[in-house]
Amino acid sequence: MRTEPPALARRVEPAVLAKPCGCPDYERGITRRSFITRALAGGIVAGIAAEGMFTRLAFAAGPYTGDVFVVLSLRGGFDGLQAIVPANGQNHLDYLNLRPTVGIPAASLLPLDATFGMHPAMATLKPFYDAGTFGAVQAVGQDQPDRSHFSAMEQMERAAPGTSIRTGWIDRVLGLRDPGTAFQGVQMGSNLAGPGFLGPSPELAMWSVDSFDLNGASDDTQLALWTTALTGLHTGAPATLAAPATTALGALATAAQLRAAGYTPENGAAYPDTGLGNAMKDVARLIKADIGLQVAAVDYGDWDMHSGMGTVAGGWMYDHLTELSGTLAAFATDLGATRLNDVTLVTLTEFGRRGPENGSGGTDHGFGQAVLLLGGGVKGGQVHMNGGWPGLADADLVDGDLNGTTDYRWVLAEILEKRCRLGAATDVFPGIDPTRINCVNVKP
Amino acid sequence: MRGTAQLPKRETEQLLSRRTFVRTASLASALAASGVSSAIWATPALAAPGFVPADLDLHLLRRATYGATKASLDEIRSLGRTAWLDKQLRPSRINDSYSTNLISDRYPNLSRSMADIWAEQTFDWITMFELGQAAIARATWSKRQLFEVMVDFWSNHLNVTNPFDGGWHCRHDYDKKVIRKHALGRFVDMLVASATHPAMMLYLNNAESTKDNPNENYGREILELHSVGVDAGYDENDMRQSTLVLTGFGFDWNTGLFSYYGSNHHVGPVQVMGWSHTNGSANGGYDVGLSYVRYLARHPATAHRIAYKLCQRFVSDVPPAGLVNSLANTYLANDTAIVPVLRKLFGSTAFKNSLGDKVRRPTEDVVATLRILGIKPDAGTGTDGIQGLYWMLEGLGNLPMSWGPPDGYPDVASAWAAAGGLLGRWNTHISLAAHWWPDELRQPPLENLLPSPLPPTHGPLINALAKKLVFRKLSTAHRDAVLGFLGETASSPLDANDAAVTWRLPYVVALILDSPYHEIR
Repeated sequence: MRTEPPALARRVEPAVLAKPCGCPDYERGITRRSFITRALAGGIVAGIAAEGMFTRLAFAAGPYTGDVFVVLSLRGGFDGLQAIVPANGQNHLDYLNLRPTVGIPAASLLPLDATFGMHPAMATLKPFYDAGTFGAVQAVGQDQPDRSHFSAMEQMERAAPGTSIRTGWIDRVLGLRDPGTAFQGVQMGSNLAGPGFLGPSPELAMWSVDSFDLNGASDDTQLALWTTALTGLHTGAPATLAAPATTALGALATAAQLRAAGYTPENGAAYPDTGLGNAMKDVARLIKADIGLQVAAVDYGDWDMHSGMGTVAGGWMYDHLTELSGTLAAFATDLGATRLNDVTLVTLTEFGRRGPENGSGGTDHGFGQAVLLLGGGVKGGQVHMNGGWPGLADADLVDGDLNGTTDYRWVLAEILEKRCRLGAATDVFPGIDPTRINCVNVKP
Repeated sequence: MRGTAQLPKRETEQLLSRRTFVRTASLASALAASGVSSAIWATPALAAPGFVPADLDLHLLRRATYGATKASLDEIRSLGRTAWLDKQLRPSRINDSYSTNLISDRYPNLSRSMADIWAEQTFDWITMFELGQAAIARATWSKRQLFEVMVDFWSNHLNVTNPFDGGWHCRHDYDKKVIRKHALGRFVDMLVASATHPAMMLYLNNAESTKDNPNENYGREILELHSVGVDAGYDENDMRQSTLVLTGFGFDWNTGLFSYYGSNHHVGPVQVMGWSHTNGSANGGYDVGLSYVRYLARHPATAHRIAYKLCQRFVSDVPPAGLVNSLANTYLANDTAIVPVLRKLFGSTAFKNSLGDKVRRPTEDVVATLRILGIKPDAGTGTDGIQGLYWMLEGLGNLPMSWGPPDGYPDVASAWAAAGGLLGRWNTHISLAAHWWPDELRQPPLENLLPSPLPPTHGPLINALAKKLVFRKLSTAHRDAVLGFLGETASSPLDANDAAVTWRLPYVVALILDSPYHEIR
């Protein structure tokens, strides 16, 4: 039962510091994963035969018949102008005027439509764009600019400006139906749930499916004893303490079955071996297990590129877009066309970046952002906007930044209405404007 | 662009390639909350007084230390709360040679100067790893417990993530000269020290901010996070002015130290909120910047914010407004001195009435577990066991000083209430109680927790263990839950060969530590 600590990375070569994927955080990520892997080795896997898994797991799919809604939060402020880039004519000149050193030249962009091109590091997503399962929305914003990471995130995930509502929007989505399984709302890749889940509906946060294990319980009998005892010990505790215990204990048996079954991605899907790649692989795993997943949330941080974002050919932004795109492409490949018809993924970020680059080869906190869409029901192969490109000429900018002409809640509401069969989104987003940008198809 | 930097291009590129804040902990940012301040986690008061004994000595120990021990309880019983607090507020008078020697013997790099380490140009992270391990060791084994709690508080308030790639030569010095030096001093001195430290200049990019190409990262966060707070009424123009005022505060790429560069400084009238300056010369910019930083430290909004955060740390997730206002006044009346604020806080009625209103975060849970089990560091000058704790806490998402974004770890229960996190804590309890890992730590036999002689039945055994571990009997229902795990009842006979006092003792200990009794701070 003993677990070994991983070797401490004692030295990071300076040359490595500058290299893609050799960055210290990457090392830390590996280290953390090794920790978890090793911690797992201390646990005893419950012995449920793999072949029995799917029948056993089909017990609680519940009444939900909508898409699995995957919310990928790009924390730190994703610079959408480096990903979905104005590529033509004056729009491109205005862009390069603001970003003379970090701007992506038109010749390097993957052509999308008459206005936009895509960063070449996103090439893995181009086939999905062409097939109509990947698309984007440009110039998305909140109801007003907020250039603080912290309050912008709060506003975004509470998603109820001008009200006293303190719950998160995902919690309100889950609360619209009868309670589902312990897996109805899952934060994957972290043992803490994001603020979108804040509120009374239970959610499950886990580093990974394989790490979700009670180390003291060596077999099913022991697990049952532990579960009973821990349930009893939390009886009468305040909800803040009791609810996570109830959720954890309710999910352990199913997690043990999933772990025993193992997981191999299908259709040759190759996820990057990173925190993001592993988390998204586990989301696909939960989707395919049909255990009642309704909303999955994953975080991918480190977009706060105030400095040294790199060039079109390499560096921080390039690496990040490569990892993001490779992961999304692997996710769609792994699910396959049929499963993808029942999944809608959206990326969100607390704000876009300033129009102009700063003096450090980066961009500071700004306003208008880009949202990425993936799924069988999205109107892919397009860059959606509300009323056209707001532009990057001086007169077009809002306090120096790209305007946000599509309220991000309109995108979420449209997905909830058309893909998740939610009905009216005003229950989730109080007072939301009825404008929609027609970025997904109605689920048949 | 960095006109004053004389470093050869190669090194400059290496340093430029360093990733700013969220980058330093890409998995910390995967911590859902990544970047999420406590404000998001608005939460009802916890109010779980039934799980902690109505004992104000224990209450103070739970809040002002990393966990009560028999020794600390004996001490506070003997001294009384007032004298105990006085002693803790004068940490230099507490003989802490055990902890001090532990650090100096095992983590030799922490005493090295920034200049020496920089001169080697190794980019070696060893000193930052030593700092992270030292933080765990000090929290666990230092007798200056309240001081260490305050070090943690300020390390989060003025967060410079450890490790981060600009900190290899300077992050430990930031801990020593900014945080530890002023942890029980005046906030104005701490804020000035942070604004003139290379670690902060690198972490929030002020090292790259110049009059022609301002970088707003530090100029914004010094307002939003370090001082007045996002609701203080400043606007984007104030924020840009804040950035301009601080241009020139930078980093010397030759020495690895802080330096002021007049040639980078924006000259001309500047105004931020109620502060303004003619700012007439490049050479005068350093003093102008310090004047601004001091203004921020002494601003009433800063007073309120620090008071609020201290109340959130020590009293309640939802601090009582009356106490916050009162502490803010104390802060201002004492020119930002922290000790008078803490005295008032711990002496307040609101503090006494807050029994059961706080929950331990994962690190506090683990350190309290180490303390109550009497676990000691590795034999000799070994560090493998402490290193194991480092990875354990990282796995729980709460490694000291390691929060990626600049706002510091949240300190409200709702931010940490999650199924996966709780499961991680449970796994930690059994791992430590059973001495599975890290097994290099030295641990007294769990049998020491057993009453002698053994009681004749299982019921009293569970309560005796609970009194040792969580300082109170369990409720009947909770006691019976533990007994049910053993397949026993309260009245079933106990003898020395029974599972409860032999091979299943670690499980029983872990279960009691898994209960909300241990979770309450």
